[in-house]
Amino acid sequence: MNYRPTIVSFLCNWCAYTGADLAGTSRLRYAPNIRIIRVMCSGRIEPTFVLKAFQQGADGVLICGCHPGDCHYHEGNYKCLRRFKLIQKYTIQMGIEKERLQLEWISASEGQQFAELVNNMTKTLLLLGPVKIKQSLEVQHLKQ
Amino acid sequence: MEEPRIGVYVCWCGTNISKMVDVEKVADEVSKLTHVVIAKNYKYMCSDPGQELIIKDIHGHKLNRVVVAACSPRIHELTFRNAVEKAGINPYLFEMANIREQDSWVHTDRVEATSKALDLIVAAIQRVKYHEPLQKRSVTVDPATLVIGGGISGMAAALEIANAGKKVFLIEKTNQLGGQVAKLDLTFPHLSSAQQLIQPFIQGTENHPNIEVFLNTEIRDVTGYIGNFKSTVQMAENENIELKFGNIIAAVGLKPFDPSKIEEYGYGRFPDVITSLEFEEMLSKGNILTKYGKEPRNIAIIHCVGSRNKKYHPYCSRTCCMAALKYVHEIRACLPSANIFEIYADMRAYGKGHEEFYALTTHKQIIFLMYDQQEALPVIRHANKNDNCNMIIEMNEKLSGESIEVPVDMVILMVNMEAHDNVKEVVRAIGVSLCGNQFFIEKHPKLDPVATTTGGVFIVGTCQGPKDIPDSVAQARAAAARILATIAQGSVAVEVTTACVNENLCCGCQTCVRVCPYGAISYNQEKRVSEVNEVLCKGCGTCGSACPTGAISSKHFTDKQILAEIEGIMSMSFKGA
Repeated sequence: MNYRPTIVSFLCNWCAYTGADLAGTSRLRYAPNIRIIRVMCSGRIEPTFVLKAFQQGADGVLICGCHPGDCHYHEGNYKCLRRFKLIQKYTIQMGIEKERLQLEWISASEGQQFAELVNNMTKTLLLLGPVKIKQSLEVQHLKQ
Repeated sequence: MEEPRIGVYVCWCGTNISKMVDVEKVADEVSKLTHVVIAKNYKYMCSDPGQELIIKDIHGHKLNRVVVAACSPRIHELTFRNAVEKAGINPYLFEMANIREQDSWVHTDRVEATSKALDLIVAAIQRVKYHEPLQKRSVTVDPATLVIGGGISGMAAALEIANAGKKVFLIEKTNQLGGQVAKLDLTFPHLSSAQQLIQPFIQGTENHPNIEVFLNTEIRDVTGYIGNFKSTVQMAENENIELKFGNIIAAVGLKPFDPSKIEEYGYGRFPDVITSLEFEEMLSKGNILTKYGKEPRNIAIIHCVGSRNKKYHPYCSRTCCMAALKYVHEIRACLPSANIFEIYADMRAYGKGHEEFYALTTHKQIIFLMYDQQEALPVIRHANKNDNCNMIIEMNEKLSGESIEVPVDMVILMVNMEAHDNVKEVVRAIGVSLCGNQFFIEKHPKLDPVATTTGGVFIVGTCQGPKDIPDSVAQARAAAARILATIAQGSVAVEVTTACVNENLCCGCQTCVRVCPYGAISYNQEKRVSEVNEVLCKGCGTCGSACPTGAISSKHFTDKQILAEIEGIMSMSFKGA
């Protein structure tokens, strides 16, 4: 079977989502396997969203917010960063490789950086192969 | 909840979407989904007939929810919300799928782009099922306006508002009004006096009964929201004054580029290599003299200093070409026999009367020499003793293809306009964003170039991007008109996507109180639950994700809505992959 990595991405409205829009208006090209979900602030992203994406079969989850100091809501991105570190600990315990969950800062002017980020993450996921979470959850379920 | 009856509309955007996404196939696929009553594709959904199509279907098919797959919601979400509202549906029972900026414009494989569009639309359909009607809220507008920056843009805006009988607080960080225009001698292309333009503005501003000017004052922090902002300004004598205002105009301008960064020009090393602003000062005094007090016989004017150059700034400053041509006229008036060299990269005469001005200047017996920005900059060196001039400019002349030496006694550097060093502090205080060139980002580059994405905050003049006096003044008066309109209305619609607390679930841990950046959440000791002040809440949703019991939800970004969106995104093309 042809492995096509799937990325679910959560972008904040003010910086990252605008940056992704800029990649579009600048007609930059990037891998088509990313699906973007808009939230107002990266501080809104909660662990459930990330876990839900993996549960649904995402091979990677990409979270992007404003650069430190540039948050539209002053400090939501710092809260996101702290939460991210915790979620990542948890997902690693679940057997999800560290590289499958990424947090990056993308400003409204960084369309190019966004396109590169998507391409790089796609390459990483291609090397890692499909996510193994589904299988391990099933095994755990059977054990119980 | 009533059964969802969803209408889905897939936009072609001419060929922008349709050439990369099979819009017919996508509409056909989603029409098979549960709760989708009708799915159509149309050439331009944002056009009047496109919006009419939605309105007609809402009535005809009794739709109660609408999804439009088109451009970014940042562009037309409001357009479609208004359209569905016209048809009697709450505007929040609508969702957009971004299949242009984040799909058709960034991908090259039609099959991939089509399946991506399908996923995004299905996600929007799943999400919109959980949308709840939200009631519009409005707040009163304080009729006072804060203008930051006392240059020509700030003053033009301030005067426009003040003349309409409304209060303006104008803060200026230096000790005088006038900005960069006050430092100019003549203006292009009419060669009229800058002082005659700016002085009446300064006096009008200083003496206006409705304008309060604060010199030597900088903006530190602004609190509040559209219609009701507050700020404490610190005056020179360490006296603090609290100001209240309903709208903000940022007119902080730009500053001249420091050419000492460019080694080739030796600014700072050669006393007769001066900036355009220093030359303006010389012209205002009425004498063109070298540092040794002599009249220069050879004057070179170097264009694009710090502009259109990857090493310094990639953008064009727009005003320098015409200012450089203006100097020809001013030099000729003083020194009829001087040799004038215009050393340019490209001549840009884009504005009204500019091309004519360029043509007029070419008859002034001057020498145009072209250099290649990308290859090598001209290099200035000391002349030898018997050279009969102060300095020599060595350059590769692009049109002749020859390496030449230009004898000069004075060099004028047409310096770029760049952002002030403290621009980030201003940006942070008023809650707007900067683009890569450190210019303030407008709400829409074409349709809304004076507003920002922060309600009640407007940007005018060069801080939005380099521009000349007429463009700056036009923007300033436009922003003033926008503000006067909201003042006349007396109230303005505000964000309704705030947080709200389910008191039955709240355990009173007060985590939300601590994470809220706006102090919008307080703890009710009596009820032992948190409460949201909807006026202060800006809807970032960080409280919602911190709440351990799920008691707080962010309206329009609820867990249910986002989880449904994730499910929707993963339900089609990725299924079983």
